[in-house]
Amino acid sequence: MKYILLMSGTKGGVDTYRAWSPKDIETHMAVLMSLNKELTESGEFVATQGLAGPAEAKVVRGQKNGMPVTDGIFPESKEFLLGYWIVDVATPERAYAIAGRISAAPGPGGVPTNMPIEVRQFASHGPKS
Amino acid sequence: MKYILNILMMNTMKAGAGVPGWPKKDLQAHIAFMHNLNKELRESGEFVSAEGLSFPDQAKLVRAGKDGTLITDGIFPESKEFLAGYWIIDAATPERAYAVAGRISAAPGPGGTPLNMPVEVRPILSGPPPEML
Repeated sequence: MKYILLMSGTKGGVDTYRAWSPKDIETHMAVLMSLNKELTESGEFVATQGLAGPAEAKVVRGQKNGMPVTDGIFPESKEFLLGYWIVDVATPERAYAIAGRISAAPGPGGVPTNMPIEVRQFASHGPKS
Repeated sequence: MKYILNILMMNTMKAGAGVPGWPKKDLQAHIAFMHNLNKELRESGEFVSAEGLSFPDQAKLVRAGKDGTLITDGIFPESKEFLAGYWIIDAATPERAYAVAGRISAAPGPGGTPLNMPVEVRPILSGPPPEML
C-alpha cells in the first residue's frame, strides 16, 4: 500500500533552515539522499519532491465565469507543505519507521531535527482517470 | 516548470462523510468533471500525477524520539488544515497553473453548484543544489 509522508512547517521554520551553515545543510541532505537510496534498493521508493517556499505560493479559487482569483498573502503561523515522500510499503508500521528516519535527520550541529512527519495512506478511490 | 495544486480541508472530514455522502448523481457529475480535466491535461502533455489521500482520522504524526524510538500521535485539532489530494502538472507559466487550479476549484458540488474550494498552487523545486549531493 502507498503512503505519503508529509513534511510541513511555517515560514519562520523555512527562514531558520535557510540560515543553517552549509556544512549542516550538506550533512542533512546526505542523510536524506542515503535514505532515498536505501528505499530505492528495497523497492519501496515511489517519489519525493521538495516544494518552493510559502513566498511563492498562491491560493486559487474559480469564479462563476471560470476565471481564477489568486491570493498570495498568508499568516506567518500558517503551516505549509515543505515536501513529501511517497513510499510503497507492506505495513503502516513500516511507513511510520521511515517517517521516523526522516524526523531523525540531522539539523544544526548534527542534532536530529525531530520534525513531525504526517503519514497518510492514499485513497483507493478518487478522481483519477 | 512543475507545479503542485494542493486541495486543503479542515479536519472535519471523516471517512463516509463529506463528498461520499453526496447524492449519487452529484458525485458522478463531480468525478466526470475531474476525469475530463485529467484527460484534457494528459492530451496537452501537462499531466504528471494526481492522488487523493485517506481521511484525517487515518492520519498519524510521527516524530523520532531522542533515543531513536518512534512517537506517533493521531489526534488533531478540528481547526487543522489537511491535504485532501493533489495534482502535479507541468505548466509553461504560473498563470497556466492558476488557470488549471481555477478549473479544479470550479468542480461541481451538490446540485451542480461549483464548490469554489481554495486550491494552493506551489512550484516544485527541481532538487537540492548539485554541490550538496
